[in-house]
Amino acid sequence: MDLKEKLQILTESAKYDASCSSSGSKRSSTIGNTAISGICHSFSKDGRCISLLKILLTNACIFDCKYCLNRRSNNIKRAAFTPEEICQITLNFYRRNYIEGLFLSSGIIKNPDYTMNLLIETISLLRHKYHFGGYIHAKAIPGTSEVLIKKLGSLVDRMSANIELATDDALKLLAPNKNRGRVQKVMHYVKNNQSSKFVPAGQSTQMVIGAFRETDFDIMNRSSNLYHNYNLKRVFYSAYISVNTDKLLPSLSLPPLKRENRLYQADFLLRYYNFKVEDILSKDKPNFNLLIDPKEEYALRHFKEYPKEINTCSYNDLLKIPGIGVVSAKRIYRARKCFQITFNDLKKMGVVLKRAQYFITCGGKSLICKEYLNPHFIEHNLVIDSKEEKRKVEQLSLSL
Amino acid sequence: MKKINNIYIYDGSFPNLLTIIKYLFQENILPLDIKENYQEDLFSQNINLNLETDEKIIPNIVKNMGLKIFNGLYYLYLSNKDNKEMLIYYFLLYSLKYQEKVFILRNVDILNEAIKTIKYVGRENHKMKGFIRFKELKGGVLYAEFSPTNNVLPLVVKHFQKRLKKEVWLIQDVKRKVCAYYNTNLYFLDMQDTKINLNELAKDEVMMENLWKTFYKSVSLKERVNERCRMNFMPKKYWSYIMEVSDEESY
Ligand code: SF4
Repeated sequence: MDLKEKLQILTESAKYDASCSSSGSKRSSTIGNTAISGICHSFSKDGRCISLLKILLTNACIFDCKYCLNRRSNNIKRAAFTPEEICQITLNFYRRNYIEGLFLSSGIIKNPDYTMNLLIETISLLRHKYHFGGYIHAKAIPGTSEVLIKKLGSLVDRMSANIELATDDALKLLAPNKNRGRVQKVMHYVKNNQSSKFVPAGQSTQMVIGAFRETDFDIMNRSSNLYHNYNLKRVFYSAYISVNTDKLLPSLSLPPLKRENRLYQADFLLRYYNFKVEDILSKDKPNFNLLIDPKEEYALRHFKEYPKEINTCSYNDLLKIPGIGVVSAKRIYRARKCFQITFNDLKKMGVVLKRAQYFITCGGKSLICKEYLNPHFIEHNLVIDSKEEKRKVEQLSLSL
Repeated sequence: MKKINNIYIYDGSFPNLLTIIKYLFQENILPLDIKENYQEDLFSQNINLNLETDEKIIPNIVKNMGLKIFNGLYYLYLSNKDNKEMLIYYFLLYSLKYQEKVFILRNVDILNEAIKTIKYVGRENHKMKGFIRFKELKGGVLYAEFSPTNNVLPLVVKHFQKRLKKEVWLIQDVKRKVCAYYNTNLYFLDMQDTKINLNELAKDEVMMENLWKTFYKSVSLKERVNERCRMNFMPKKYWSYIMEVSDEESY
């Protein structure tokens, strides 16, 4: 098999992992360095950032996770890179400025320790023989010894172990060879040993969305726990793509992208907007509304707390206004110490007035007349105003 | 400030522009405009002060105003705005009064325009760190062409000086016909002055490009194709220098 075909197979089998971030590390060596804010080098047709050479060492695997293309029971072409091949491709791509570095993962061959040793050998070659100072993200294989986690962690910038599914039931059913305890053991070790020399860019994880009947409430609770207990940098959500047919799996014609998008928005609310899971979801209301975003949903359900006065409300309240992001909230907070803010200024600060207008006053003034300030009317307007709706209407009107 | 209906002429360089602005401040003059070349204009006069550039003006601004404001001024200078000289004039004027607070005074229209421009140049600089593609020439030299909207070449080279410090490389701004050449030291040259043969590629070059295109194609999820999103992040205007997309249809 030539190198090109190998690369094709081992990229296609790695592409379902959502993470491609290259941020959070300060490293420099003879060949290369890392950029603290991360750099995107290209964007694939699906609009995702390409920052790292995302490949598997091999797509052969002894496990049989139901949702995975590489599972043992699938009859697909298998391939494996040698460590030297990975080094050559990485270095050559890097100096031509195609990539920030390498994201290496692998199917499990023989046993977890054996696989982990192969990953370590490859990355060690890159770092020590070739003095590569670019970004490296490696997947830790759950169930390996601590010594190996320690070794791998001291070579890479970021490490991740995938939690895969939000609930234990789902894991038991769909990934019978995996167990959450082993994944959390890796996370626990990384959390306790993280330093500028050990996984400096921190750890992340990923959950598959929509392969099982878990609710958004299950998922957000799991995320919130992970952020809290293991200091994770990111939880990635990956809309399930039907790669296998299996009676245990849903057969989806399209991946649940809108749902994935809502989960990312909610994830941001948890991490940057001081929201808690209970603020936005509950047992009785376990799923997000797909038509409006989680913050709008929150605002409409707590409508009595609005409108907020831009010039006087607390920073925390600014964050609770739809159409105002962290950046514009900070801008408003700083600017209002210097001058009284008007609706016109808000536009210049990057506020999406179309969405914020129902929830704010500026110097006591409102853009919406009182009679219209009721949640049903507003929800209706927010839905009509959303971009996707507009696009739909555009398309429909073509047939008129 | 007294409004004077004159257009002042500078020599095109950043320090000279700052020297003239400093003079205008001292004379309390709000000019109609400041330009590199003479402007045809019936109602105003072009004035060339022929001021000698103040060698200390840049270190003085850095020292007294801080790096953040200096960088703001420099980014404005590198921008492709037609009115960049007056943006610099106003930005410096307000900086004297408000220091770093100028960056939040978006209620002043001219400052809002200046801040937006600064951010835009910064963003383009960041994008180019990713989008620049080197080809390896015979002899191991790396060569890249690009054509940014703003003049970000002086900014991106700083990044590659650190990243590719052991390599010899050239980056050419095709539109502005300038070239940065790095060989332990950095030089800016006219394209005609480079003696390197740009047409002879290294042995592995074509193979590596093909491998990269293979990767690019394979990593995309066909179930999630989203052209609008790709275009947002990677605007068409840059495509001709990004080889994995420039000849997307042909492989
Ligand atoms: S362990 Fe499971 S998810 Fe990972 S490659 Fe093997 S089958 Fe796929």
